[in-house]
Amino acid sequence: MIKERPEARGSAFGERHFLNPFHNTIGKVDFMAEIIATEGLTKRFGPLTAVNKMDLKIEKGRVSGIIGPNGSGKTTLFNLLSGYFPPSEGRIFYEGHDITRLSPQERVKRGISRSFQLVSIFPRLKVYENLVLSVLRFKENNKGGARFYFCKVADNKELLDDCMQYLEMVGLQNKANTLGGELSYGDQRLLEIAISLSLKPKILLLDEPFSGLGDLEISFMMELLHKVKKDFTIVIIEHKISKIEDFCEQLFVMSQGSLICQGEPCKVLTNVEVRRCYWGEVG
Amino acid sequence: MMGKNRPGLFFSSVSSGKRSLVEIIIIAVLCILLSFYMGKHRVADFMIFCITVLSYDLIYGFMGHLTIGHMLYFGTGTYTAALFMKWVTPNPILGIVAGIVAGALLALIVGKLVIRTKGATFALVNMAFNYVGFFLVAYAWGNVTGGEDGMPSFTGPLGSFYLHRHPYWFFFVLFCLLLSFYLLKHFSASPFGIMVRSIRYSERRVRFLGYNSHYYKLVTFIIASSFAAFAGTLTAINYGYIAPDYISPLRNAEIIFANLIGGIGNIYGALIGGMVYMIIRDFLSIYVERWELVLGVVLVVTALRFRTGITGYIQKYL
Repeated sequence: MIKERPEARGSAFGERHFLNPFHNTIGKVDFMAEIIATEGLTKRFGPLTAVNKMDLKIEKGRVSGIIGPNGSGKTTLFNLLSGYFPPSEGRIFYEGHDITRLSPQERVKRGISRSFQLVSIFPRLKVYENLVLSVLRFKENNKGGARFYFCKVADNKELLDDCMQYLEMVGLQNKANTLGGELSYGDQRLLEIAISLSLKPKILLLDEPFSGLGDLEISFMMELLHKVKKDFTIVIIEHKISKIEDFCEQLFVMSQGSLICQGEPCKVLTNVEVRRCYWGEVG
Repeated sequence: MMGKNRPGLFFSSVSSGKRSLVEIIIIAVLCILLSFYMGKHRVADFMIFCITVLSYDLIYGFMGHLTIGHMLYFGTGTYTAALFMKWVTPNPILGIVAGIVAGALLALIVGKLVIRTKGATFALVNMAFNYVGFFLVAYAWGNVTGGEDGMPSFTGPLGSFYLHRHPYWFFFVLFCLLLSFYLLKHFSASPFGIMVRSIRYSERRVRFLGYNSHYYKLVTFIIASSFAAFAGTLTAINYGYIAPDYISPLRNAEIIFANLIGGIGNIYGALIGGMVYMIIRDFLSIYVERWELVLGVVLVVTALRFRTGITGYIQKYL
């Protein structure tokens, strides 16, 4: 049961909105200021508090970055937002609706997609096969849950064309018949991004998308993200601050499970507490 | 645009339908040739075993869940068909249908309980259910099932046509094998098949693609178990006698061995593994009293040297 967030009914969210998982079909009724918000979000693992009473607001249509030292709770936050595990306390709101207890698959259906810190593809499936399920997920939602799974993939031209479209987007079209596990690490990262994009989410959570990539691959990835950022709300966790400084419109800094600073990147990065916490600088 | 790298054009010279037809003809010819050498009854037995291995491969090879309880569904099919033909109607087709339905229903009930487990827990819980089934058939319901001694399975004619007599029976079982092969091959190449293989590699990722993996695992479990029950019903007719051996958890090892020898996660592997295993078992037992020892050596060599089984090894050098 999805509960509506009380504050979401007010004029702060503009006109009425629909819970339609397809951002590109919403049209002019979508004027919400925030797409995801948390209230007192807390996650404890035994005596360790990984995320501590966090109140976070991600604005719709913007690119937000989350930075912080190792162990500050960034990935745990993503895991909570995507439903990987439930919070110990607090609530998560998505477009004004309480999604705290929704399963990951339900959140994906509503438009939340994520990538993982460690590349998560299907290594023994061909590259194009890796995209079949995500492309079908979108089609299924679009057609109101029609499920026809027993057609042969290789005989389904429309499905193959959709898969190829996303492979072309990330430049992997010539490796469609290669096994996912045989791709280079950088290509595997791109494939993972293609999988996330093909879900056509409203919000894309990217967990360290540049980790393990060389400068050339990072440039390509940045170019890709710049191309698609107008279509999604993007939240990105990254250690390479210099790479996302110009990309993000909003930056959140986490330390020891709490949000210590947020705002425009140039201002956040000059904040004394942030510099002390992140780079160990004092004064 | 993408040339040969575009999926679906890999076998552009031969369409997938024609390719399947060629494969089916090859399998049929090989089985018929083998029947001249080994006898129709024995090859029918081989083919039934191949259907069982094919069904097992769906759970173990494709979905990546090792189970030690597959014989429960094989036995359910065997006993249901035999009892149905004894008490309701001797019609073999209806007996087969009853066996498949019983296997599917049991898989639905057991599957609901076991499908959320994985790894050793999945294997052992399935084995526990298999033991429950075995003890029910062999002891608790002995007055109905014939207990440890088993019972004869009577098959009646279809009108004036005796399906269970050779050569009709041989060709009927061959048809069943080819049908199972075709359906499971089609299944493995479908989006559902991709889903099942994806679950094997990363169930977490499947959930983050918006799918309830438990639901798809349950459906796969039911499909595989139904095919096992189907093989069980054929066994009841093929032998004309059923015994608790057909539901014994110990016989799961035979299916796993055959799967490993042929190559897991491969439809052709299941077929080849099933045939090779049965040939080893039948031939070796003539010349070697403790033929299981030789099978053990074959398995050790397969596990250490040929991890992808016979088909994997062949594909590597093709």
